[in-house]
Amino acid sequence: MTIRTRLTLWYASVLIVSLIIIGLGTYREIDEQMRHEHHREPTEHAISETSEMIFQVGIPAILLGLLGGWWLTQKAMSPVSKLTDAITKVHERNLREPLPRTGSGDEFDRLTEVFNDTLARLDDSFNRVREFTLHASHELKTPLTILCGEVETALRDESLSPLERERLISQLDELQRLARIVDGLTLLAKADAGQVALQLEPVRLDELVRDNFADAQILAEPQGVQVELPACEEIVIHGDRHRLRQLLLNLTDNAVKYNQPQGRVTMNLRQTNGAAEFTIANTGPGVPPESLPRIFDRFYRGDAAHSPMVDGCGLGLSIAKWIVSAHQGTITIESTPGQLTTVTVRLPLTT
Amino acid sequence: MRVLVVEDEKKTASFVRKALQSEGFAVDVCHNGNDALAAAKTTPFDVIVLDIMLPGRDGLSVLRLLRERRDATPILLLSARGEVNERVEGLNLGADDYLPKPFELAELVARMRALGRRGGENKSPLLRVADLTLDTLTRRAQRGGAEIELTAREYRLLEFLMRSAGRLCGRMMILEKVWDYDFDPGTNLVDVYIRRLREKIDANFEPKLVQTIRGAGYMLKEPA
Repeated sequence: MTIRTRLTLWYASVLIVSLIIIGLGTYREIDEQMRHEHHREPTEHAISETSEMIFQVGIPAILLGLLGGWWLTQKAMSPVSKLTDAITKVHERNLREPLPRTGSGDEFDRLTEVFNDTLARLDDSFNRVREFTLHASHELKTPLTILCGEVETALRDESLSPLERERLISQLDELQRLARIVDGLTLLAKADAGQVALQLEPVRLDELVRDNFADAQILAEPQGVQVELPACEEIVIHGDRHRLRQLLLNLTDNAVKYNQPQGRVTMNLRQTNGAAEFTIANTGPGVPPESLPRIFDRFYRGDAAHSPMVDGCGLGLSIAKWIVSAHQGTITIESTPGQLTTVTVRLPLTT
Repeated sequence: MRVLVVEDEKKTASFVRKALQSEGFAVDVCHNGNDALAAAKTTPFDVIVLDIMLPGRDGLSVLRLLRERRDATPILLLSARGEVNERVEGLNLGADDYLPKPFELAELVARMRALGRRGGENKSPLLRVADLTLDTLTRRAQRGGAEIELTAREYRLLEFLMRSAGRLCGRMMILEKVWDYDFDPGTNLVDVYIRRLREKIDANFEPKLVQTIRGAGYMLKEPA
């Protein structure tokens, strides 16, 4: 039961109880008067007179009261619904936008004020985390540069034994992987802080997809994975060419990596409901349902993906998601484990 | 070739200097922007390696001042900022190349050699390495007189390798020039394409021309 209904009901019961009390009082009064004036049994007359009064005045008064009560509670509770609407729209990106205050200084105003303060504090913490990630990835780059450089310098030594050389090369591989993770983190941290500007221009999406398809076929060849592009409609969107290519390559790389040998990757680009829709499906082991909601999270990898064959930085899908969101699009994933996993990207068309 | 390295981080400056010296470069090092401007005024360098984040006057400002005083020395920018559009910004300001940190030394050396030889780059329409030829007008590749079928991407890769014949081409450099990627895709795209190219131009021929430099990149070269 909502507060509004409860208040209205209470109000109505209070009205009814007071009406009964008034009715009883009126009955007594009339009864007394009649006894005084006529010295005869007045009860019946008094009852009819009282009930007449109740019907003529009481019932309309109750109805009016109910109506008034409903209106009053409605008015009293309206800041709550406004607040609810406003709070629904709060997410980590707009914490700085304060909820509207009524300015009346009442309890709701106070509540809004306290809530705004809380949001501002939350925003500060979010910003601190973002700044921390940004600084951390910067700070990591200098020692990484030095480490990579020194291992490479060591590798130049001709007198190294093959074993030593092998060890150094393996270290260098890991350092380069670390460098890619730091790169990905920097990019995402910058994107979070709103510091990455897209270079928007009209882009022929179908050309990018076809280009990517050619690379995908080559990438998939060593694993015997078949790549298909049954539909590629001519579509122009307003986008950042480099970032869109990065998105396509990320998704393709994933679809090939998390596939089975002799598997299949199917891409499609179509125009549907005012959007460009790119789908990429693969016949990999798939994603268990419990992992699906977290698949775009940073460093999240489903158990199925923890195969020694797969090396990646764990940020590919997060970067993909950022690129799509930055283009006002959506990215979704569906998976039937053991059968088909499909990623769908929808990007708004140029208007 | 005489080069100037402008880098405030001492250790980085030191291994870059060592690596370049071992490659036969004459290396000067500055640790801040003003010293770099003064050095560039008195010495004609073939290439300047310029870190963007410097104490005081930053690399981009040094670059702007150099270009304002009509100094056309090829400049390679280094940056730890990793900003997506920084490369574009640097190139617009007149830089000739851009390398994000952490970089591979081999990549840096390869790029500097390419910059130092700019203008001297092989611009001829007919490229030749041993008995491999590439006609950039008709887009035809031949080895030992036999026609070689190439896809568009393979053609671009071969053209790039042939124009840089005898020089190391780092993976990042190949991704930039052949794919026009300004990001490291973290895939083995380059290696897979090189393997395909080898099958076409090296598998049935001697000597093998495509050489792998482990941990660094590839080089197209006629073995001595």
